[in-house]
Amino acid sequence: MSIFPVLNTSGSGLRTFRIWMDAIADNIANINTVRPFDEEAFQARFIVAQAVRSDHQNPPGVGGGSRAAAVLFGDPQGRVRYEPGHPYANEQGLVRYPDMDLGDQMTQLLMAQRAYQLNLAVIDRARDSYLQAIQINGR
Amino acid sequence: MLDLAMRAIQASLDGLAARQRLIAENLANVDTPGYLAARVSFEDSLVEALKDGAPETTAINATHSLDPTRMNGNNVNVDDENVLLIETGLRFQLAVESMNNKFRILHQSIRRDT
Repeated sequence: MSIFPVLNTSGSGLRTFRIWMDAIADNIANINTVRPFDEEAFQARFIVAQAVRSDHQNPPGVGGGSRAAAVLFGDPQGRVRYEPGHPYANEQGLVRYPDMDLGDQMTQLLMAQRAYQLNLAVIDRARDSYLQAIQINGR
Repeated sequence: MLDLAMRAIQASLDGLAARQRLIAENLANVDTPGYLAARVSFEDSLVEALKDGAPETTAINATHSLDPTRMNGNNVNVDDENVLLIETGLRFQLAVESMNNKFRILHQSIRRDT
């Protein structure tokens, strides 16, 4: 464990929320990905965040941070739409759109971005505090 | 003139400075296709060197990061590098402060008055 534990903890938060933003970027990039009716639709990506068990003993259980433990995938059925003009449409004129909502994705993006900024703010504060601690012995 | 502690601090400063250089290099190559982030390790070697009482023999090793790469084969993450840069800076400052302390003691023992 580092001698500046907050940096590792908040750093793990940065990583988690960066991965979350990556997933949202993936989702939004594929919001219009149309698949043929007999194939699976693009599945939305969901990041599962998990608290990391800390190896600190003083106090125990504090400062482990978080990590992106897994990626879950949305409904492969997607949303079936009637678009007879589409090259992918079957005889009934049906295609599959991903089962995602742009408003929902944007809300998640906002949450991920704010959480990322919060972790940065903690790192800033921690750096100031550590710097002052280093200079205690001074002059 | 330098005692063991000062030479240990110097070895640690050397290692930390090398780490700062490589972090700067990583950040400069954040978009270079195929570039793998470099990581510096010297702490374990410093521990071993101190057991022999010879911190000058500390080896500074650079390895490549094993993080997953992006589509262009690059695996530099700006946030990771920045956190590491802050941590390295703090540790550098801590070592400098310890070195100053050692010199302050030396200085005070040399001074005639007080």
